[in-house]
Amino acid sequence: MLWVDKYRPRTLDKIIVHEEIAQNLKKLVSEQDCPHLLFYGPPGSGKKTLIMALLKQMFGPGAEKVKLENKPWKIDAGSRTIELELTTLSSTHHIELNPSDAGFQDRYIIQEIIKDMAKIRPLDAKGKRSFKVLVLNQVDKLSKEAQHSLRRTMEKYSASCRLILCCNSSSRVTEAIRSRCLNMRVSAPTPEQIVKVLEFIGKKENLQLPPGFTARIAAQSNRSLRRAILSFETCRVQQYPFTANQAISPLDWEQYVSEIASDIMKEQSPKRLFLVRGKLYELLVNCIPPEIILKKLLSELLKKLDSELKHEVCHWAAYYEHKMRQGQKAIFHIEAFVAKFMSIYKSFLIATFG
Amino acid sequence: MRKRRPVVILSSSSEEDEPAKPTSSRSATAPRKRPRGGAARKGSSASGPRRPRVSRGVEAVKFDRLSADFCEGLEDFHIAPGFQCKQGIELWVDKHRPHLLEELAIQKKKVEEVKKWIEDRVKTPKEDFGVNYALVITGKAGVGKSAAIHVIASEIGAELCEWKTPTPTLWQEHIHNSNLGLPYMSKLDEFESFVEKTRKYSLLQTSNSEGLRKPLILLIDDLPVINGRAAFLRLTKCLTTLSHSTRVVTVILLTEYCKTESGGSPTHHYEELETSLCRAGASKVTFNPITVNSIKRTLFRICQLEGHDVTADLINYIAKSSGGDIRHAITSLQYCCLRPDKYFSAQLSEGISSKIKSENSTLLPLSSIKEGKDAYSALSFPFGRDETLTLYHALGKFLHNKREITDQSALDSEPILLKDSFLRNPLKMDAPEIILSQANGQGRLITDFLHENVLDFISDEAIDDAWLVISYLCEADCLLSNALCPTYPRRLNVKYGSEGIAQSIASSVAARGVLFGNSHPSHSRWHTIRSPRLWQIEQSMGLNKNQMRQETFESYPCNMSEMASEYRPRIKWLNSQTSQDAVALQNPSFYPLKAVDHADDIGSDGLIEDNPSEESEDEIEDC
Repeated sequence: MLWVDKYRPRTLDKIIVHEEIAQNLKKLVSEQDCPHLLFYGPPGSGKKTLIMALLKQMFGPGAEKVKLENKPWKIDAGSRTIELELTTLSSTHHIELNPSDAGFQDRYIIQEIIKDMAKIRPLDAKGKRSFKVLVLNQVDKLSKEAQHSLRRTMEKYSASCRLILCCNSSSRVTEAIRSRCLNMRVSAPTPEQIVKVLEFIGKKENLQLPPGFTARIAAQSNRSLRRAILSFETCRVQQYPFTANQAISPLDWEQYVSEIASDIMKEQSPKRLFLVRGKLYELLVNCIPPEIILKKLLSELLKKLDSELKHEVCHWAAYYEHKMRQGQKAIFHIEAFVAKFMSIYKSFLIATFG
Repeated sequence: MRKRRPVVILSSSSEEDEPAKPTSSRSATAPRKRPRGGAARKGSSASGPRRPRVSRGVEAVKFDRLSADFCEGLEDFHIAPGFQCKQGIELWVDKHRPHLLEELAIQKKKVEEVKKWIEDRVKTPKEDFGVNYALVITGKAGVGKSAAIHVIASEIGAELCEWKTPTPTLWQEHIHNSNLGLPYMSKLDEFESFVEKTRKYSLLQTSNSEGLRKPLILLIDDLPVINGRAAFLRLTKCLTTLSHSTRVVTVILLTEYCKTESGGSPTHHYEELETSLCRAGASKVTFNPITVNSIKRTLFRICQLEGHDVTADLINYIAKSSGGDIRHAITSLQYCCLRPDKYFSAQLSEGISSKIKSENSTLLPLSSIKEGKDAYSALSFPFGRDETLTLYHALGKFLHNKREITDQSALDSEPILLKDSFLRNPLKMDAPEIILSQANGQGRLITDFLHENVLDFISDEAIDDAWLVISYLCEADCLLSNALCPTYPRRLNVKYGSEGIAQSIASSVAARGVLFGNSHPSHSRWHTIRSPRLWQIEQSMGLNKNQMRQETFESYPCNMSEMASEYRPRIKWLNSQTSQDAVALQNPSFYPLKAVDHADDIGSDGLIEDNPSEESEDEIEDC
């Protein structure tokens, strides 16, 4: 088992990083009145951990007995029926799913599942607390229509089910949903907090930590606790006992992106663009999300760039990121950004060096 | 035609006016009730017998106009329809088949060449074994290959011996035969045995009949249809041995398939066959498409013979639209002459005159849209050769981006002044939209193909152009995604056809973007058009995603992007580390992993099948 999973706090009391939020949630649940919740924050900040701990707090250990289901859904949408298969993770008290897996038919799935859940109301021993929890991941990836229908169903079935939504950026969730939920901002942990967690793990694992080592991991982790723990573990496998100046290996795809960036800086021609396209394809095949590729590529390029150009390059990156969301095939847009960058950079070089 | 004739007889007899039959026999009467045309009658009109006249009038409208008109024309043309059909109407193609060398519309030089070749062979003494007796004639359909051979044979006074393809075996027959224990013989088998026989017995025959009988010419016109590589090799072998060893003058006619929608395979085969025959020592003559002028001459002659007065405009148009296919031109002419008064009224002449006008007008970029409209209306005429292009042909046109070279003074006279950076020379082709409609290209397909291939065609210096082109492709992609994942329910879109419009707009944006953006095309040379790699990538991406989805939920639920970008690399690393394989990982180019293998796995049986891999090797000649 990975350390990330092994040392994941299971209860709200054990949470180290967002202690305050955890305590508030505990209070909220103990008063029996749980509103819909929307957790948002950057990746690796502990949203999921909070949600799982919260569920345990609400339903007791029953919430941890989950089973994986690949359930086919048959949805009657007016003139035709849609057949979908969706993987869900469910216990007796909650269902967790990734509605954006359903693609552009996500709105049907949301309506249908919530309706389905509302039909069966679980009763506990006291006959009270008759609601189920639906955990929806990546709400920001939902289409506008789906978010709209989510709003309606939220109101209609609020007596029998609670929603816990989870997303990276609340800006892509519609106002209507945000106003119906209690918004929980889960901020990225500070380097100090990360160091604290790493030291906690080190103690549990009986590791000798050289001074400054955890700080270096924290600094490289991009303020993502998950990444910090994962690279901590790789360092452990790589070399133990630790040395103070031990290299922390970057992720292989990040390395690959920086390679692409240096390719772009070296030569600006259609041929080179074609080469870059091939490399981008390799990243995409491995399911690295295109937005992340674009972001990483931009930051790699900015590192090597004259400050004069930075503004313009950022503008175009943002432009193509937007286009990418409108379009269908990400490669077109990433490539357009690369081409634009090449053209800007080339004319800059000509203007400067002749 | 054969099917139609008995029907005509029935409808012209008085059976229709019989009183209504009991409904039980409806199914029996229905087929008989079918009026002229071969078009099937709708079952809904089964109550027909009571009021046949009315229903007939209504039905006639529904018919495919062309067939209905043709049949009507045929009937009107003859005083006694039905019975006389067989004897009376003779296709003009057959009736005016050339009988003299002078009547052939083919270039005189070619005919002379063939004639001389055959005469040489026929007259040489048989002992001379160095001479090869096989001749391959190639040319597009309808240029008069067979006609030429027939005429020449009769001129020389030789007897033509022809391989006629046997009638195809129907499935029922096959079942019947196999029940009886008869083995199935494919057409290829039959052809092979035929060739075998002629090789063995030809010498005997000719030596026997020498001096007594006329010289013999063996004509192989209709090659059996081949399917697949093995069959093709057999046919090639068969033909090459024939051309090697034959002692009789053998003429093999190969029809040059213009690249049609059916994909590259027949073309490939045909070309390979030709080269292998040439290698085997056969002489080769290629007939070019017949020129417009000689088609016109022939058409005029036929008109005179038939006593029809047809305007010069019409003949001109037919000749032009036939694309060098004289058989087609004659049939069109016959069709036009059927009902000169009824059908070819104002509409046609108007269309033709506008077409001619547009041809006369110079190809200014601004007038291209107008021209496009005319061309569309011309396409809707019921005759004229089908002018479809292959996808690859169309792509080649866009990618090579050929333009007229005009002098600056001509451009100065234009009313709208553009900045130099936006000026482009006029295109050396039809409007892109016409090409797209001819190639029958879907937006997505065109965009993907252009995206894959366009970078090869941009000169190495012009990165700005590359950006411009790709940004247009970007826009096309955005348009397409709106078309394919509509905000409205799909059926609404289908109803109003907006999906189709969005598609064609997108492909037009893509094509025009490529044409406009690529202002410095690289030097023209041979390029291979690849099929989009994107498709492969998407498939293997889907597979990887599925695999990952399973992994994800097994360990711990987190979302896909985190899984891909954070967990997986680490897990992979850890796993490899434990198996003492760290060296490979230090090298980042190790990154391509088994995902690519996935792509190959599916490629063999998956979606990629739709675009045969052979096609992707199609090369487009820069001509």
